Amino acid sequence: MKTVFSYTKPYSLLIGIALFLMLLEVVLELLQPLVIASIIDDGIVAGDQDTIIRLGLVLMGLSLVAFVSGVANSYFASHVSHSFSFDVRQEVYKRVQGFSLAMFNKFPASGLITRLTSDVQLIQQVLYMSLRIMLRAPLLVIGSMIMAFVVNAQLAIYLIIVFPILLAFLYVMVRKGVVYFSFVQQRLDKVNRLVQENLQAVRLIKAYLRGKYEANRFSEVAGALKTDTVKAFRIMEIILPILLFGMNVSLLAVIWFGAFDIRSGDAQIGELVAIVNYAMRMTGAFSMFSFIIMAFARAKASSDRIEEILLANDGDEVVQGKTVPIEEGTVSFDKVSFTYPGTSRPVLQNISFKLAPREKLAIMGATGSGKTSLLQLIPRFYEATEGSVSVHGRDIKEWDLQELRKTIGLVPQQSMLFTGSISDNLSWGNEQAELPELQGAAEKAQIDETVQRFPKGYETRVGQKGVNLSGGQKQRLSIARALVRKPSILILDDSTSALDVKTESSLWAELDKEQATTLLVTQKVRTAMRADRILLLEDGVASAYGTHEELLKSSSLYREIALSQQAEEVGEYV
Amino acid sequence: MFDAIRRPFGYEPVLTKEDLKKSPDKKNERAKNWKSTLLRIWKLVDEQRTLLIIVLALVFISSAMALLGPFLIGYIIDTYIVPGAFEGMGLIIGWLIVVYVLHSVSLYLQNYWMVGIAQQVIYQMRAGLFGHLQRLPVSFFDKRQHGELMSRVTNDIENVSSTLNTSFIQVFSSILTLVGTAVVMVMLSPMLTILTFIIIPLMYVSVRWITKRTGRLYKEQQKAVGDLNGMIEETISGQKIVKAFSQEDRVMDDFLEKSERLRRTGFWAWTYAGFIPKVMNFLNNGSFALVAGVGGLLALNGSVTIGVIVIFTEYSRQFTRPLNDLANQFNTVLSAIAGAERVFAIMDEAEEADDTKRNADKRLDGKVEFDKVSFKYEGAEEEWTIRDLSFTVETGQTAAFVGATGAGKTTVMQLLARFYDVNEGEIRIDGTPIGAMPRETLRKQIAFVLQDPFLFEATVSDNIRYGKLDASDEEVVEAAKQANAHEFISKLPEGYDTVLSGDGSMISQGQKQLLSIARALIADPVILLLDEATSSIDTVTELKIQEALERLMEGRTSFVIAHRLNTVRKADSVYVMELGKLVEAGSQDELLNKGGLYATMLTDAKL
Repeated sequence: MKTVFSYTKPYSLLIGIALFLMLLEVVLELLQPLVIASIIDDGIVAGDQDTIIRLGLVLMGLSLVAFVSGVANSYFASHVSHSFSFDVRQEVYKRVQGFSLAMFNKFPASGLITRLTSDVQLIQQVLYMSLRIMLRAPLLVIGSMIMAFVVNAQLAIYLIIVFPILLAFLYVMVRKGVVYFSFVQQRLDKVNRLVQENLQAVRLIKAYLRGKYEANRFSEVAGALKTDTVKAFRIMEIILPILLFGMNVSLLAVIWFGAFDIRSGDAQIGELVAIVNYAMRMTGAFSMFSFIIMAFARAKASSDRIEEILLANDGDEVVQGKTVPIEEGTVSFDKVSFTYPGTSRPVLQNISFKLAPREKLAIMGATGSGKTSLLQLIPRFYEATEGSVSVHGRDIKEWDLQELRKTIGLVPQQSMLFTGSISDNLSWGNEQAELPELQGAAEKAQIDETVQRFPKGYETRVGQKGVNLSGGQKQRLSIARALVRKPSILILDDSTSALDVKTESSLWAELDKEQATTLLVTQKVRTAMRADRILLLEDGVASAYGTHEELLKSSSLYREIALSQQAEEVGEYV
Repeated sequence: MFDAIRRPFGYEPVLTKEDLKKSPDKKNERAKNWKSTLLRIWKLVDEQRTLLIIVLALVFISSAMALLGPFLIGYIIDTYIVPGAFEGMGLIIGWLIVVYVLHSVSLYLQNYWMVGIAQQVIYQMRAGLFGHLQRLPVSFFDKRQHGELMSRVTNDIENVSSTLNTSFIQVFSSILTLVGTAVVMVMLSPMLTILTFIIIPLMYVSVRWITKRTGRLYKEQQKAVGDLNGMIEETISGQKIVKAFSQEDRVMDDFLEKSERLRRTGFWAWTYAGFIPKVMNFLNNGSFALVAGVGGLLALNGSVTIGVIVIFTEYSRQFTRPLNDLANQFNTVLSAIAGAERVFAIMDEAEEADDTKRNADKRLDGKVEFDKVSFKYEGAEEEWTIRDLSFTVETGQTAAFVGATGAGKTTVMQLLARFYDVNEGEIRIDGTPIGAMPRETLRKQIAFVLQDPFLFEATVSDNIRYGKLDASDEEVVEAAKQANAHEFISKLPEGYDTVLSGDGSMISQGQKQLLSIARALIADPVILLLDEATSSIDTVTELKIQEALERLMEGRTSFVIAHRLNTVRKADSVYVMELGKLVEAGSQDELLNKGGLYATMLTDAKL
């Protein structure tokens, strides 16, 4: 909890003010029973009307001042807690942005999302409440105790007897509560994950008629959540009745012994009434305790989860470094091996190749042979386990990460667009790009015509992950996005799979004109032939490397592939 | 220092004076909404009437005991302590202990059961909402961000949950306490009673003033939360692209803007809502002062006793305390109601048109006819995605669809599965319009291999079994073998029991495809829809899959969108689409001889 709450530091002054105002409010309230004791002893018992009126007005005045400080407190508490959560949210989000992709495997997206949303919200709420009521309860209890002693120490003794017992009890319950509520939070995570999965796979679920099955699955996890929540709350609900009972019994002790003290003249009626009043205030304050504990237990669980992110190490992606290329457009792999963090089987072994500027490399291979993994090393999404990857003549470890990535145009296998207009999405490639540039890139990507046909053209909004576009349209937009930045290195990860033959060949014709070193993954020999060289991967090992002609001679696998595809095509054209 | 304090005043005001003036008509609408929202929650609560009655009875007991305690203490002061005669005091104290025991026990039990009731209601809302989501048409999901929907199923319901747990009992017990104290107070001293109750109308007026503002502010806040969550969800799941394009700064700016909006609306909402308990406290303390002062004066002429003053000061605290607690949680209550409203809004979305249950198990033959079908996506203004499309695919035949991307091939499949309903014309299977067929019957006949293979966070075998829930292990392995997935599955750390992570990052895209094919294989459909399923599988594997698919297609009606000419060649008929229209149809040879668009496409591809 420490790390998260250290974000309150910039607001310590404001927190101080808020707490002071709250303290003022509590003190003023605590003076009330004292004034009442005076009214009874000096007014009623003494028969003095003026004193009663005067003290009555004093009581009024006290409440007015307490009100003003209360309202001011509310302003500061809200200000501080919202600014605090704003800062924490920003920090967590920044951290997440800085994570390497390996960290994303460790923290699944759904978990990150809950942390940024409901967890932050929860600790914000707890901070707000601490500044308003949480401290109020202990302050009221302690303050009442002190005042009771001031009024009549002999009687107040009886109140204090049960105190240590109740405190010990509270302590035990708080510890229990934290454990139980962290269970609840885990259950909640599961529920959220399931919901997310379902939102993503709507069509699949419908196609397989699994609506009921999913609903049952959900009922199960939601049912577990219910059971655990009920359990946690039921344990917490024990607190209040026991505290109340303890306080009430000590109140009776005060009355019983107070009665004898009054008869013997050691105490006055007004004093007894005041102490009874204080005792009742303490009881009232105690009723807030279980509420506070619950809030804290949940805040603890939430802040622990947030801290996991804030303290997560390795993640730091923000790497400063060189920004100037030595030999723009070169890419070389030198005996590169790569194993995904946390796994043991290498997905790439001893890969070497060198590309001169504007050369094209086609990478072929079976699924799972490591094609995508290889491409991911170039923008340094992952670090090579052995060997070195150099781009623009520099080892990529020397590069400033942002600068390195700025030179690369990546088209991933699964095209993903973001909520916003088409031009918003395209300008991801280059924020400064004007519409004509965007349009130019779209034209090259064979999508301009389609976009122009949309009623709103480039201002057409694409929804969550671009749902209202077809797969091929998304792919072409995602190619256009990469072209907008005029990259010196272009990476295409089987990104033309949803394109028909005609569109694809016009696209390749355009790409041939680009001034970029190109690495492309493809399944089609016809496409691979366009490249200067071909790298054939088999289980992470480069089984062949060279031109189409060379490979036809040297690699039996390549020959096999080429023949099967040729047969296919020859069959067509006859 | 002053800057820090004044800062929030620099926030652009969230509510303008005009906003508040506009209120009359909107207020009514909101009140009506709130009323119906509360009524719907009540209906769920009411389902557990027996328990509820027990809880209410317990609340009754605990409230009565809470009243009896101070009353007996006042009685002790007046009868025993003031006169100094202690005979019989022990007995009353004994009764007081009984009162306190009863109070604590009933308090515990009412909360014990209430938590059960509340969580059951929440469970039902959750499950109800989720079940409803399952029955909503696909077009519903096209229109919304996942993050925004997520926030409804999670945050909004959580808010309702925390409120139901506590507020329900509080409202009821405050009413009881209010009535109880009123009765006892009137009996003891009508004059002091009036003084105590003077604050109630004041409370009402001031709380109204505040809620008029907070109601709208909370709605704004909730909206800001939804927007922010949607944005977070999208950028986190698309993190790789953010990184590849070095757009961290841009995304951060967008994030900060949305986060700032949430801070602003949240700040004002909470500040206003924070006034409520302070106002209550003030009025409460004020009446306390009045009771003490005026009570003291009355005591002078003997019309009230000291004990009565003690009782009154305690009672005035007691009946406002629950109201005060409630007011303290006022923001939670408000956002809970707003949240419930948003949840119910989804539950009111029209489900996929009603399905009659008849013939659910009937196996069809699989003759598919499109008869002058036209379709456009909701919101698309004039653009027809499918225009006047007619064709017939006989039982067991394979139909290949070719055409430029965006020609409407995917849409044809989605229409056949009735993800969307056609705007004009009719689609028939075995002569029955699919509109007249229960979706269950229809979809049972169909297996899909979608463009983006999606896998669940579950084991490999569970993922395959998704196609047929009661499939045996042998069947799963068999399907995997047929789909050529067995080999790589065996190499996974725990074979078929390997749990795939949510985004399936453990296995390659092609392997995901293989699994999704295995999933389709095990479903044993009459109609097979393959949507570019073979696009990212390497040639070697593809040949084997082709083999398996051919075996699978045997005797089944198949719709295939594939860019492999090999697939097209083997099809019984080829349909060439352009801009939503069918431009050519026929066998491969016929089309080639005709020398139309299809022939041109092939020549172009020849390089």
